[in-house]
Amino acid sequence: MDLPAQVWVQVVVNGLALGWLYVLMALGLTFILSMMGILQLAHGEIYMIGAYIVYYLSVSLGLNHYLAMLLSMLIMATFGILLEKFLFRPVQGYLLPPIVVSIGLTLILTSAAAVFFGLFERGLPRLAHGSFLVLGSAVPKDRIIAVGFSIGLLVLVYLFLKRSKYGQAMVASAQNRESALLRGINPNQMSRLAFSIACALAAVGGSLAGAIMKLSPFMGTPPLVKGLVIIVLGGMGSLLGATVGGLILGLLDSVIPVAFSPAVASIAPLIIVVIILLVRPQGLFGHE
Amino acid sequence: MNRRQIIKPTSIVAIIIILFLAPVLIESIYWMSILALACINVLLVSSLRSIKLLDHISLGHVGFTLIGAYGTALLVMKVGLPFWGALIMAGLMSSFVALVLGYPFLKVKGMYFAILTLLTAETFRSIAYYWRGLTGGQLGLLNIPPPSPLTFPGLGTISFDTIHNYYYIILIVVLISLSIIYRLEHSHLSFKWQAIRDADNLAQSVGINVAWYKMVNFAIACFFAGIAGGLFAHYQHNLSADATSRFGVWTTLYLLIYLVVGGEAKFAGPIIGTLVLMFVGEFARPLGEFQPMIIGALAIFVVLLLPGGIIGLPDQFKLLYRKLLKQTTGVQGSV
Amino acid sequence: MLEVRNLDKHFGGLAAVSELDLNVSQGEIFGLIGPNGAGKTTVLNVIAGTFLPTRGKVIFKGEDITRFPPYRRAQRGIARVFQRNVLFRSFTVKENLLVGFHLRSSKSATEIFYKNAAAHNQERVEREKAMQILRFVGLSQQADELAINLPHGYQRALCLAVALATEPELLLLDEPLTGMSAEETATMMDMIRALRDERGITSVVVEHNIRAVLGLCDRIAVLDYGRKICEGLPKEVVENPEVIEAYLGAEQDAV
Repeated sequence: MDLPAQVWVQVVVNGLALGWLYVLMALGLTFILSMMGILQLAHGEIYMIGAYIVYYLSVSLGLNHYLAMLLSMLIMATFGILLEKFLFRPVQGYLLPPIVVSIGLTLILTSAAAVFFGLFERGLPRLAHGSFLVLGSAVPKDRIIAVGFSIGLLVLVYLFLKRSKYGQAMVASAQNRESALLRGINPNQMSRLAFSIACALAAVGGSLAGAIMKLSPFMGTPPLVKGLVIIVLGGMGSLLGATVGGLILGLLDSVIPVAFSPAVASIAPLIIVVIILLVRPQGLFGHE
Repeated sequence: MNRRQIIKPTSIVAIIIILFLAPVLIESIYWMSILALACINVLLVSSLRSIKLLDHISLGHVGFTLIGAYGTALLVMKVGLPFWGALIMAGLMSSFVALVLGYPFLKVKGMYFAILTLLTAETFRSIAYYWRGLTGGQLGLLNIPPPSPLTFPGLGTISFDTIHNYYYIILIVVLISLSIIYRLEHSHLSFKWQAIRDADNLAQSVGINVAWYKMVNFAIACFFAGIAGGLFAHYQHNLSADATSRFGVWTTLYLLIYLVVGGEAKFAGPIIGTLVLMFVGEFARPLGEFQPMIIGALAIFVVLLLPGGIIGLPDQFKLLYRKLLKQTTGVQGSV
Repeated sequence: MLEVRNLDKHFGGLAAVSELDLNVSQGEIFGLIGPNGAGKTTVLNVIAGTFLPTRGKVIFKGEDITRFPPYRRAQRGIARVFQRNVLFRSFTVKENLLVGFHLRSSKSATEIFYKNAAAHNQERVEREKAMQILRFVGLSQQADELAINLPHGYQRALCLAVALATEPELLLLDEPLTGMSAEETATMMDMIRALRDERGITSVVVEHNIRAVLGLCDRIAVLDYGRKICEGLPKEVVENPEVIEAYLGAEQDAV
């Protein structure tokens, strides 16, 4: 516990970077959950495939890294539209079928990644080299860039939801499906939109994570579990909750291993969530 | 006695006989292991289905398997209990934890319960992964001994250090467990479970203590998960709790697939689903990394096109047959 | 027999019921009426145990049951018929009743595995009791039909039958006459009266059908905005100016 202040700064920055990545996952999960009532367990694999697409485009084909990320976003968004239409819309409204569909999807996507790219870990090129000096300690530039990207995306999403016609329709749809229907909002369009945005966000999250951490076909499972923790913590269906929850979890995941131990770090968030679900099921910001 | 009343018990007896003869018929250790694992999985998926009977989806079944597995292993290795005692005790530990957690957990509905159980299982796994003192931490438990040899007067001594012999223990335990689960499902207990599932508010107002009955259901199912875990520990001879282990999220996903593909409506569903998918998986193994893809695609196919699962097929055929009959003869045939 | 003392029920900031006192005597049919939103169903929910009161007590046969969960109240002899047709969807008519018998039959755990002669006997007795109740509500023909296949009026009768299976002393009826034809209404009213006369069952009836309530109930309480504005014999209540005001006011709001 008696660590110099520099370490704490690094830990916190790390936590925030991690947190923002989690937020990207959690937002997507929340979109799909609140728009379609579906728990998309394969979302971690979307994140993973998004990262691999960037790998393929930038490392194998030599494309500019940021261009690759943009393409990955678009590809996964389109993929999301297909998933919504052919896989998830038919099973909307039930509890178990969508879960099983997403499980099947998880297996297929993980398998596909292993087939195309092999099981061993790879890495994406770092977003930037070197570090800034913040508060007297060296903070890696790539973390800052990751945070910057995430915040930028979040602002875009927020603006979209608040200002654009479709965004507002999405919010209305999520809050009250029937009255949205009465106002002529097309629920299928909303689901499509929600799914594609969710997949795009996950793709970016995966790309950023692949640059900071490692790529592997199994890299999607831990973020998914974290995503679940976050949406429970923040409140299912609440975007603010997903954001705040993600940041809190990111910080916890970064601080606790240093302050206590990795053991506590993996157990603590889970126990917190279990307690929250029992004591305040709607989470910090949820409404139910 | 009509035809159905003869066919069903006969086929069950036939299957059981074949299962008992399996070690004689199958020489390969590999396939014997697969069959043994399949039996353990059948128990797991059947007990998962019991929970589903109350409309709860438990994504945390592996957590209770973990308690059973580590429990049995530790009781045998550190406390010195004989295998059978350890097995039952581990099952009881598992159901005790289920009772304790069940009281608050079962109050929440559908999605929340699913997420809760998933995270609980992950918590158990993390604890097992990090608690070096108790579970060997990241190294896990190694060299779990097989059950001690049994001596039967007249038959001699049977030792259980080979899979061919240990398989018999697994088979007997699983068969006994399945018959208990089966009897439960056709008892007045299950009658109340079904009532709770249909309308728990009405069940409450006719005097059924819904919370208690849900807890009993959960505890029984988790007892068998623990037993399955105990069987697994002595099958595998070592246990580990890392993310890709038997106790991780992936196993949960597979168990659910087995359940849904088999069909949850009938008791035989999990059995069929598990056996079919495990053997499909084995035959797909030469395809290497494509194997999970095939299982995943199959799962999606069944969910989208065959909602009742495999055991729902006969009913689907009957409906199809009736439709065809109506169309061709213009008569409503009663099949 | 049933006493509600100083009952308050708040949902968030909204006071659904305030300072309610009720006294229901054994063997009477007690009506609870009032315009929409007056809190009638809330009161029933508190008596049945679905809601816990914010303040106040519920006393049944001298016992304070305020904190009892619904299943314990059923054990004490309170049965409830829900507002909507709540039935066990996958069961037949007879099976629905058998669930109700759970309370009064004691089944041991060993019966799961082996039923001896006594157990079989008990089941036979239960099936006969079930048929008796079904005859009373007029559903004996439909005993083996799936409950959800019945038309609305029959389903309502089945709800009553299930409640009767618990051998209650107090029946809580939440709008038992909704959606019923004139004939079905009369039949239901006769049944409630017969339950009182033949079995001494007390009933608390929440209803919108004023004419029926006036004809059926021994005493009536009127609620408006969660408060009791009047209580007494049907003819007193009907002439009470506040009651008329409450209903007229509600009509005006509706228009």
